[in-house]
Amino acid sequence: MFLLVNFASLENTKCTFDEISRTKISLLMAIYSFWIFDKHCNCIFDREWTLLSNSSSGTINSKQNEETAKLLYGMIYSLRSVTQKLSKEGTNNEVRSISIGKFRIHTYCTASGLWFVLLSDYKQASYSHVLQYIHSHIYVKYVTRNLLSPYDFAENKNETRGQGFRKINNRNFISTLESFLAPMILQ
Amino acid sequence: MSMSTPSKSLKVIGDDTWKNKTEKVNAELFTLTYGAIVSQLCADYDRDFQKVNNQLYSMGYNIGVRLIEDFLARTALPRCENMVKTSEMISKCAFKIFLNMSPQVANWSPEKDTFSLILDENPLSDFVELPMDAMKQLWYSNVLSGVLKGSLEMVQLDCDVWFVSDVLKGDPQTELRIKLNKVLKDEIPIGED
Repeated sequence: MFLLVNFASLENTKCTFDEISRTKISLLMAIYSFWIFDKHCNCIFDREWTLLSNSSSGTINSKQNEETAKLLYGMIYSLRSVTQKLSKEGTNNEVRSISIGKFRIHTYCTASGLWFVLLSDYKQASYSHVLQYIHSHIYVKYVTRNLLSPYDFAENKNETRGQGFRKINNRNFISTLESFLAPMILQ
Repeated sequence: MSMSTPSKSLKVIGDDTWKNKTEKVNAELFTLTYGAIVSQLCADYDRDFQKVNNQLYSMGYNIGVRLIEDFLARTALPRCENMVKTSEMISKCAFKIFLNMSPQVANWSPEKDTFSLILDENPLSDFVELPMDAMKQLWYSNVLSGVLKGSLEMVQLDCDVWFVSDVLKGDPQTELRIKLNKVLKDEIPIGED
């Protein structure tokens, strides 16, 4: 009887990948901010949560975060060059996470030069599946496949090498990302 | 992705992604849609096939610069360290995932920077017979060269891509040539150099 009940309840909850990861993750951890950098060293998206109790608090694409974005970029950039120098030739050696005093930085870098960066507390060691999910199911879906959104956020030479200012402003992208990440902000 | 992926596992990645992570559409619908685009372009440009070739190429380029992101999202593959690896990735993964075919890689240049893809089956040109006036100049599947150009550029490989022969023109095989001009440097933030 017990088994039957269990099966029935399993059948009723149609678990998709993101639902599973959300429920697992929400019990465990807190995230503080999320960033996307493009291959022109520009921050093209930033999201910072200020109140852990409120998933809609904080800032999106804020001017105030420009300096932080540059510092964060520089830190990951330097560590990436260090790891590439330390690795054997021909092997791929990516920075996955950086742990510092108060939080952990998770990075996911694509071959096309996009960096997805997430700042979290210490409770979870790896967010790579979360970042990969954001890339493949949210970024590609709402930015890459949106032909009215630019594929390259630097329009001319003056906006390359970290001097750009353009951001991802697609409503679909932002709202899907928000609802995907909301359960990971500590309740 | 683990460090150096041997060629066998690239095939496995390609087959697996094709099977499990790719929605399928009717190939004939695709072939006919492409045919409609080409014939419309021929009409628009008054059968100036050089212009049609260029337009197909630039349409392909615009597809490629976006398609690469889709490809990387599906496979999570790292950058290739040389052109041999690149050629395998194109034939075993990229063509497999998007067109369900694996062209042969052939005709390497001694410097290993130029190679050809032999397209035995080309879904773009099924059912197609070129009219006499188009035979000489039109590269019917030229969108493919544009796609490859655009997507390789997005992973910092500046390449030239062009057709050298096409069964539609009476050649024995369809051959697409890819030549690496240079590996583009990753940008660094201003003030870092």
